[in-house]
Formats: sequence, structure tokens, C-alpha cells
Amino acid sequence: MDTTSSQLLIPKINLGGGRIVLSKDGPSVAFAELSSTYPLKLLSPHVTEDGIAVVYALTYGGGLVGGDQVNLTATIGSGATLVLLSQGSTKVFKTRLDQRKSSNVSARHTSRPQERGEPTTQRMEFEISGDGALFLLPEPVTCFRAAAYNQIQTFRLDIGSSAVILDWVTSGRKSLGEEWDFSRYYSLNEVWVGGTRIAKDVMLLDDQSATIPPLPRRTLRDKLAPYSCFATLILVGPLLQPTIARIATAYEAIVVFKRTTPEDLIWSTSPIPADCGSGSVVRVAGKEPEAVKRWLKDTLGHLEDVIGTDIYRRAFL
Amino acid sequence: MDGDDETYILLLLSDSNLPTGSFVASAGFESFVKHGFPADWKSNDATTLIFIQDSLETYARSALPFVSDAHRLVDRFKNSLDAAADESHLSDTVLSDISSLDQLYTTMTLNHVARRASKAQGVALLTLYSKGFSRPPSLPKDPSVSKLSDAIAAMLEKLKLMIRREGIDGHLPICWGVLTSALGLTLERSQYLHLFLHARSLLSASVRLNTVGPYGAQQLLLHGVRPLVQAEALRCKDLRTGILDVGHDDMNDGPAMIWPLGELLAARHDLQHSRIFNS
Repeated sequence: MDTTSSQLLIPKINLGGGRIVLSKDGPSVAFAELSSTYPLKLLSPHVTEDGIAVVYALTYGGGLVGGDQVNLTATIGSGATLVLLSQGSTKVFKTRLDQRKSSNVSARHTSRPQERGEPTTQRMEFEISGDGALFLLPEPVTCFRAAAYNQIQTFRLDIGSSAVILDWVTSGRKSLGEEWDFSRYYSLNEVWVGGTRIAKDVMLLDDQSATIPPLPRRTLRDKLAPYSCFATLILVGPLLQPTIARIATAYEAIVVFKRTTPEDLIWSTSPIPADCGSGSVVRVAGKEPEAVKRWLKDTLGHLEDVIGTDIYRRAFL
Repeated sequence: MDGDDETYILLLLSDSNLPTGSFVASAGFESFVKHGFPADWKSNDATTLIFIQDSLETYARSALPFVSDAHRLVDRFKNSLDAAADESHLSDTVLSDISSLDQLYTTMTLNHVARRASKAQGVALLTLYSKGFSRPPSLPKDPSVSKLSDAIAAMLEKLKLMIRREGIDGHLPICWGVLTSALGLTLERSQYLHLFLHARSLLSASVRLNTVGPYGAQQLLLHGVRPLVQAEALRCKDLRTGILDVGHDDMNDGPAMIWPLGELLAARHDLQHSRIFNS
């Protein structure tokens, strides 16, 4: 059976733990709980829109070091909307053990993933009740050379609640010549609606593929060229139906003729097959993370009507 | 089943004329080429091999755990038949597990083009079993195997019915695991052959797409695909879905999509102005 979800229930706050409990309070919303422990920090700026709260999930030093664990749970009550953002991209540094090893040249050859230190792991669990809504719109994750990162996100929605889930990753610090040079990026997004799992999106990027003679070795960079940013966007629930419909219409209007070189940005969308509540999955690939961000900002633009222009601009600076 | 029997089944299943639907599927290859990929290689031969390499790698990682668990389920069914008093209860249990596997595959295949192709090919395999591999009425019954084969045939009929009534999708890797266990192939052979057939149908697609000629495809099949299938079968043989195993480590041993570019291009298949494949 699936064991990931049960491990997410933290009775009290652990190292790097966080809890958000948001519910409707008259015309506005109130936090019954908003707490976090090092290295996670949750900040909620004052916003003027009714029924909506914004939370920034920050980490001290702006990044996660190898072995760091972050466990965040958020409960969103009916009538409440939570916009969860990050400040700057989530930077994942290489694992501690590997850092020591990298100073030792001879160890490089024996360096295998299971011999490295614990990967950085971020777990987030969301529960959205009634007609509540979640807008999870972080900056992309950037894994540095040799970093290992697991991200496990579970979303439990009532029939009638809605969620925008953005999950994206860049190829690393291009300015330092890093291009898909991390050792592991694992991302799981599990979406449940009314007790039924409607999507389990598992993406694993690792550069562990060995050379298979006589074939040329295919590195992660080779396999993903020419792109340096991949985004997955999951849209679920009644609030997102106009967005889903617009994206589907724009998608169906695309006509692909034979090309000799790849486009700078490409995207796709697929409906999520489900009996209860419809949703869609959008994937975007771009040569530059900035271009992907612009595309997302334009495509989701009319969500400004839902969460307000000010908050929308916080999400897509 | 002894080695000769298994070899004979392997020969039957690797017949490229079997109506398994693979001849209308390119698993994203047509779209890949149309979109101007690969970005950095321009010889047609290299294009074909690169796609097979990347496609097989992600397909093995995401689909082989489902082949394995479906195969194990039907093996378990066969092994418990002798001791079972209530055969139909046993088949209901295995069908319910197969249905869970199938649902999981649907929720993990978040690409409508791949889902469509997988459903069509899965159902074709079950039809192949009932129409192509059942004992013809012109031959007398073999009393030594008939109880077992009758029970398996009845279970597969129920499975087909469940798919037709839209209860479950009937995806290719699950139906493949079911079929190969029903025919008596070992799990290892089943995994290997599944990957081989994926690679070979990509080569057939590339011949139709004219990225490689018929002789060139044969050369690649012998010299390029062989080590690739071996390596991927070895790498993914112990991966599982978590449906059958308590204490399963999904983060390391579970199915995963490992080639987001291929996933995206495969999903864009229907956007091509003209196309010859269904996927």
C-alpha cells in the first residue's frame, strides 16, 4: 500500500515542521494556527482581499542543505483561500556527505547515490474542505550540482474545493555552468478528490544511467536538451473550470508542422480522467525559466479576478 | 512448463503480425521528430536510436512495475487454484487487485494520448488471448490441463467484461502481465519480452516514418536494442507498484516518469498537422 501519506501526519511540530490552519471568519479569514520551526519560516503579509490569506514559506539562508527535512501541513476551511508562495527559488545544496567526498578526488569514483548522505526532503500535505481553495504558486526548485532532493506533496480535496498546484524545476545555476548536474530530483504530487485518488504524478530526474556499450551515454542534459526548465501545473475543482477551458481552447488551436529545430517553449495539456470533479495537467518546457514564468503568468492571468491583482503579482513577480 | 514450451510461446508472442495494436502506435516518436528533436543530433540513424534509448528507459521505469505485479497476481491465482474450494471467489479477489493496479496506472499516466494507446493495446491483448490462444474446438480437450486453463480463461473473460462495461481501462502493461502469466511465461521472460516489443514497435514506426530503412532497423534491433533491453530489464526487474507489497519503498522502487520532455511531446501528438500514427 502507499505509505507516503501516513508518514506526513505529524502530531506535533518536528524539526523543519510547519502548520497552517486557515478558516473563514466572517467576511475574512483567520489563522487558527500558523507556526513553524527552523529551518522553515512561515510569514503571512497583510492583504486586503476578503476570504484570502497569503503565506510565504521561507527557509533560513534561502535554501535547503543536504539532509534538511521540511514537513508542512495546511488545512484550509470551507470558504477560505490560501495562496502559498516562496520567496525566490528553492535552492537545494548538495548533500553534506557528498560535500566532504568532493574534496577527496579518489572518492568521486566510488560515489553512488546510496553512499551519499540523506537527500533533502520536503513533504507537504494539504486538506481543503467545502469550497475552499489552494493556490500553490512557488518559485521553481533549483538543485545545485550533486544535490539530491525529494518533494512529496499530497492534496486532499472535498468535492467542490479547488486547487492550483505549480511544481517546477530548473536545470541549476546556469551562470556556474550547471545544467542538469544534480544527482536526484524526485517529485510526487498526489491529488485526492472526495476520497478518490485522481492523479499521482511522479517525476524522477537522476543522472545515474550507466553507459550501455556500444551505445552513446545519454546524460540528463542530453535527454532534456535544449530546455532548462520544466513545469507541471495541476488544476482541479470548480473554481478552475474557466481556466481549464481556456487552456484547452488555446491548446487545440496549436498546429504543429514539421520543424528542423525545437521551439524555445512548448507546452501540453491533458484532462485528468475522473468521475468526481474534473481537472487537467499542464506541462511546460522552456529554454529559460523566465520564459516559462511569463507563460504561466499570461496563461493563468485571469486568476487575478479570483485572488486579486495584488496577490497575483506577488506570485509572478 | 519446460524450456521448449516457453521458447515456443516466446516465438508466438514475438510475431510481428499479431494484432496487438502496436502498428498504429509510435509512443511519441512521430511527434518527437515533427517537433525538430533531438536538438543536437541530425543523422536519422542516431535520431532513431536516441529516441528508443530515452523512450525505453522511461517506459521501463513507469510501466514495468505494473507488468510485474499483474503477472504476480495471475501467478498467485494459478497457484492457489488447486487448494481453492471456491474458484469464483478466488477470481473475484484477483480481479479486484488487477482493477486496483489498472486504476493506479490511469492516475499515473497523466497524458491522454499515452492513455488512449495503452487502453487500445491492452484490450487487443486480451482479445488475442481469447480468440488466438484458446484451444480450438476441433482439437480434443487435454484433461491434464483443462481445469487450470478453464479457470484462467473464465477469469480473463470476466476481466474483458469489466473493461467493456467501463469499470476499468485495461492498460497495456497490466494486460501484458496477465496474458503472459496465463500463457505460462516466467516473470523474467515476460518483463524482457515486453521491453523488447516496445523497442521493436518503435523501430517499425521509424521504418514507416522513414527515419531508418528496413535493413537499418534490423541492424539496430540486433546491435543497439539488445544491450538496451537487457540493461533496462535488469534495472527495473525488481520495481513494484506498491499495490501488492507491504512496506514497499515507493520513492526508490516505485514507478516514475523519468523523461518529462518525451512525456510532453507524446501528449502533443494530436496537434500535428498531419500524422500517420495514433500515438
